Amino acid sequence: MTIRHGLLALLTQGPRYGYQLRAEFEASTGATWPLNIGQVYTTLSRMERDGLVAPGEQDEQGRMVYAITEKGRAELDRWFATPVAQADRPRDELVIKLAMAITAPGVDVARVVQAQRSATMRTLQELTRAKRGAGAAQRLVLDSMIFQAEAEQRWLAHCEAVLAASPKEGM
Amino acid sequence: MTTRDPDPDPGTAAAPVARLVEVTRLHGDGAGAVHALKGVSLDVAAGELVAVMGPSGSGKSTLLNLAGGLDRPSSGHIQVEGVELGGLSAAGLAALRRRNVGYVFQDLNLIPSLTAAENVMLPRELDGVRTARAREEARAVLGEVGAGDLADRFPDEMSGGQRQRVAIARALVGERRLLLADEPTGAVDTLVGDEILRLLRAKADAGAAVLVVTHEPRYAAWADRVVFLKDGEIVDSAAAGLVSAR
Repeated sequence: MTIRHGLLALLTQGPRYGYQLRAEFEASTGATWPLNIGQVYTTLSRMERDGLVAPGEQDEQGRMVYAITEKGRAELDRWFATPVAQADRPRDELVIKLAMAITAPGVDVARVVQAQRSATMRTLQELTRAKRGAGAAQRLVLDSMIFQAEAEQRWLAHCEAVLAASPKEGM
Repeated sequence: MTTRDPDPDPGTAAAPVARLVEVTRLHGDGAGAVHALKGVSLDVAAGELVAVMGPSGSGKSTLLNLAGGLDRPSSGHIQVEGVELGGLSAAGLAALRRRNVGYVFQDLNLIPSLTAAENVMLPRELDGVRTARAREEARAVLGEVGAGDLADRFPDEMSGGQRQRVAIARALVGERRLLLADEPTGAVDTLVGDEILRLLRAKADAGAAVLVVTHEPRYAAWADRVVFLKDGEIVDSAAAGLVSAR
């Protein structure tokens, strides 16, 4: 997850203080990726080093306002124009767990699958609840997570069907 | 098989709008008999949205038809608004269905030669409500589901999502508190599907008891409680965390 591009995008609306960027970032993403203020300032100072943002005046409390530079805009345009690669996902614990449940003797695989289905469904319920009353940006972020949870549900239902058709011994 | 439906709020002893107790449904008889449901117990309270998930053939639709009095169980008890369905004659059951139960089916069953308003009015007129009042009610409930501007359109002049809204309006018209929906999202896209569930959710929040059968997890997730049905039995259920927070 690229915090720097998120901050650059927010800065296209005008110069911002670090604390404002943090609040606006969390508002846009439905607080899905909470940022701590330290991350925000570290990112800003690296972007300043790279010429993507420029600091402005300091206020009386020593807080600095940041503005996006031409180079920053170009970097942001490049980011928006570049599709995100299907990243190498870290090893998925659930997939490994199911593979092992089938391999290891004496494990009730159907129970493992059902426990996961119920847990993922609770997550889906929470995401759906959060979606009521969410703004457009938040809603799309939540929708993305809903689609992912849904994919897991579908996969688990598929596992169940496959296991029912060919019991553990035969696999 | 256990009952996984403890009264969510023991302070209000109100009976659930729909109650199934150890309900079994056999199709056929003798050695070839098939158990569509094997001892299912389920309560749906006023204000609650319950989703039933399961693969095809798991007994989902059978469960819904039994809860709405469209089918009778082989054993067990079913109550709607506190009335034991087993004790009713066919005519009594039909009257209870018309008064208390709204249905939304996958194949909406809108009558093509009637406008949206007329389709919604029909069950009320069958119930003896005067035309003018039935029309007024139909307009109101169509407005409620965001289909007020469709009142004079015929089903073939509407999109799939619009027809779905009209079918839901028809299910809601009158004083019915039990709403049963069998795959109400049919083949609509996810945006329309979400809208349909949002409507059903709103009805539940306004005090209806809503039971939805679906095989789509994203729609089941609108429910307070998701019941997983497999081979005619409830295998698990998932309850949303903060029921009071809605």
